[in-house]
Amino acid sequence: MAEPVSHVTAQMPRAKLAGLLLFFLGPAVVIYTLFSIYPLVATMALSTYTSDTSGARSFVGLANFQTLLGDALWSKPFWNALGNNLIFFVVHMCVQNPVGIALAGLLSLPGVRLKGFYRTVMFLPTMLSVVIVGFSWNLILSPLWGVASGALKAVGLGSLFAPWLGLESSALVTLSLISVWQFVGIPMMLIYAALLNIPEELIDAARVDGLGQFRIFFHIKLPLVLPTISLVSVLTFVANFNAFDLIYSVKGALAGPNFATDILGTFFYRTFFGNQLQLGNPTMGAAVATVMFFIILLGLCLYLFLVQRRIRRYAF
Amino acid sequence: MANLSIEHLNKRYGATTVLNDVNLSIEDGEFVVLVGPSGCGKSTLLRMIAGLDGASGGDIHIAGKLVNTLAPAERGIAMVFQSYALYPHMNVRKNMTFGLKFTGVPPTERERRVTEAARMLRLEELLERYPRDLSGGQRQRVAIGRAIVREPEVFLFDEPLSNLDAALRVSTRVEIANLHRLLKSTIVYVTHDQVEAMTLADRIVVMNKGCIEQVGKPLDLYYEPANLFVAGFIGSPAMNFFEAEVEGIEGGRARVTGAAFRTLDISAASLKVGDRLTVGVRPEHLVRGEAGAFTAEGIVELVERLGEASFAYLRRVDGKMFVAEVRGRQTPAPGETVTLVAASPDVHVFDASGLRVATETR
Repeated sequence: MAEPVSHVTAQMPRAKLAGLLLFFLGPAVVIYTLFSIYPLVATMALSTYTSDTSGARSFVGLANFQTLLGDALWSKPFWNALGNNLIFFVVHMCVQNPVGIALAGLLSLPGVRLKGFYRTVMFLPTMLSVVIVGFSWNLILSPLWGVASGALKAVGLGSLFAPWLGLESSALVTLSLISVWQFVGIPMMLIYAALLNIPEELIDAARVDGLGQFRIFFHIKLPLVLPTISLVSVLTFVANFNAFDLIYSVKGALAGPNFATDILGTFFYRTFFGNQLQLGNPTMGAAVATVMFFIILLGLCLYLFLVQRRIRRYAF
Repeated sequence: MANLSIEHLNKRYGATTVLNDVNLSIEDGEFVVLVGPSGCGKSTLLRMIAGLDGASGGDIHIAGKLVNTLAPAERGIAMVFQSYALYPHMNVRKNMTFGLKFTGVPPTERERRVTEAARMLRLEELLERYPRDLSGGQRQRVAIGRAIVREPEVFLFDEPLSNLDAALRVSTRVEIANLHRLLKSTIVYVTHDQVEAMTLADRIVVMNKGCIEQVGKPLDLYYEPANLFVAGFIGSPAMNFFEAEVEGIEGGRARVTGAAFRTLDISAASLKVGDRLTVGVRPEHLVRGEAGAFTAEGIVELVERLGEASFAYLRRVDGKMFVAEVRGRQTPAPGETVTLVAASPDVHVFDASGLRVATETR
C-alpha cells in the first residue's frame, strides 16, 4: 500500500525526522524486542541445542525436531496433545462462540430488563482465577461429594450422571466445557459491543420491511458483526493453543486419565520442567514451544489470507 | 393510497408527556409536513404512525383500518429515514427487494417493481453497487426507492434531507415534490426546516411541546398564523412582536397603544379597554415611510446584506430589537433613525393568551 507522503515529514530535516521516529516508535520497539522478540528468538535458538548429562550444551541443528516428530517416544504424546488441543478448540468454536453470540443477541434486544445484571453475571466467571474455577468444578462434578449427581437425581436424570472428569472418553470435552463456561463472557462482551454499534434506524428500517427480531438478528445484525466474530475466533484459536492452566489445575501436569486431556501446553510443561520421573529438558521443551509457535502462526496466516481479506467492516 | 386519521393520540415516557392529545386527519394523496422545533414530538408522531413506537393512548387509522396493534410491515406504510438506513451488506437491488421477500411478493413482481422504481429514480446504473460506493444523494434515492417498491398506502419521511449538503437538498426537494405529483401518494413528512415545509406541503402541521399548534395550507399559516408560536415559527427572520394595550374603544374600533409604535386603530368586537395584546409584523412587510396603518421607529444598529434583500436590525424606543427587510441597493446606515410602516393586512394581533384576534386595521 502506498501511503501518501506527508508534506510535513517530507520537508523535515533528516535528523529531526529520525528523532521523531525514535520518540514515537522507540518505546514500543524496545518493549516488544525485550519481551516478545528476544524470548522468541532465544527459544528458537535453544531448540537447536542439546545438553548432555553434565549440562554442557552443543549445537545439533534440527535434530530435536526430528526426535519430536520421528521418535515414537516423543511423537506419540505430541500428536496426542495436538489432537486433544484441536478438539479443545473445536468445542470452543462450536459452543463458546455460538453461545456468546446468542447471549449478546439476547442482551441487545429492546426491552430486556436487568441487562446490566445479566451482563455482569455472565462475565463474572471470566474474572475468576482459573485455580478457583478448576477446583470448584472438580468438586461439583466429583462422584463422591459433588452436587452434580444429586442435582441430576433431583430432576429425575440421575441415570445420566457419570464421573465425566475421570473417564477417558469424556474428560477432555468436560474440561473444554468448563473452559467455555469460564470464558463465554469474552465473545459475549465483544459481540454485544459490536451489536450496540449498529444504528437504531437500520433496525427500524428492517422492522418496517417486515422482519421480526429473529430475522433481524440473522439477516441484519449477524452479517454486520461478522468482523467481530472472526476476531473472536482468532482470539479463541490463540488462547486455546496456548492453554495450560485449567488442565493443570484440574488434572495436574499428567493431564489424566491416561493423557486424555493432555494438550500442547501441558505437554510442553512436562517436557521443559519435567514431572515426577521425567527429567526436565529445556532444549526439547524449546523445540515443543517452537512447534507450538509455528502451529499458531500457521493458523493465523490461514485466517489472515483466507478469511480476513474477504471480510469487510461496515462504517455506519 | 389512503387517508390517515389520528385520534386523541398520547405518548408518555414515565412522567414526561411527549405527545398530548393529538388529532389529525390526512386526506388521500395529501402531502402533509410535520414541522416544529426539536423535541416537539414530530418524529415521535411519525414513528407512532409507522408502528415503531407504541401509543400510550388514542387510535391511528390507515385507510380506514385501525392499526394500533399492527406491526410496521402490516400497516401499509413505508418509511425513509434521516440516515437512509440502507443495509450496508447488500447492494442496491437487494436493499430494495429485501423487505419484499418477507412479505410474500413473488420474484418476478419484485423485479418489475425494482426496475420501475430504478427508472423513476434514475438508479438503473447503481443497482449492483453497495451503499458505501454511493454518494449521499444517491443513497437517499435508494432509500426512497426502497420505500416505493413496497407500494405503501402512506409514505413516511423522517427528515430525509438533513444529511445532504445545501445544493443537493434543494434538488432532492424538487425530486420529492415531483415524485409526489407522479405517485399521487399520501405522504407524511417530518422536518424542522420551514423552507422544506413551505415548499413541499399541501398542508403543514406546526407542532410544539407535543401539541399541534395549527394545521393549514402553507400560505394560510404565513398570512394568518393562529397563535404567537406559529407566527414566530413560520417565516425567516421571525416576525417582530410589540407589546400593546387597548387604550379605548369607540364604535366597534379599538385604539391600541404600545411603547414602541404609534397608536393603532383596529376593528375588534371582542376587545375590552385595558386588554393586553401583542402586535406582530413580519420584517418583509415593513417598508420605509412616514405613516401607515402600523408605524414604528428605530435606530439602525446592524445591516445584513444578502443580495436580493438586506435585513436591518433596529433598536426600538423600549430598548428591544426588531428587524426590517430592505429591498434595493440603498440600505440605511447604522446609527440612522428610520421610520417603518406596514399595511393593515400585514399587521397581526394576538391576545394575552397568544391567540390570534380577528381584526381589520384601517
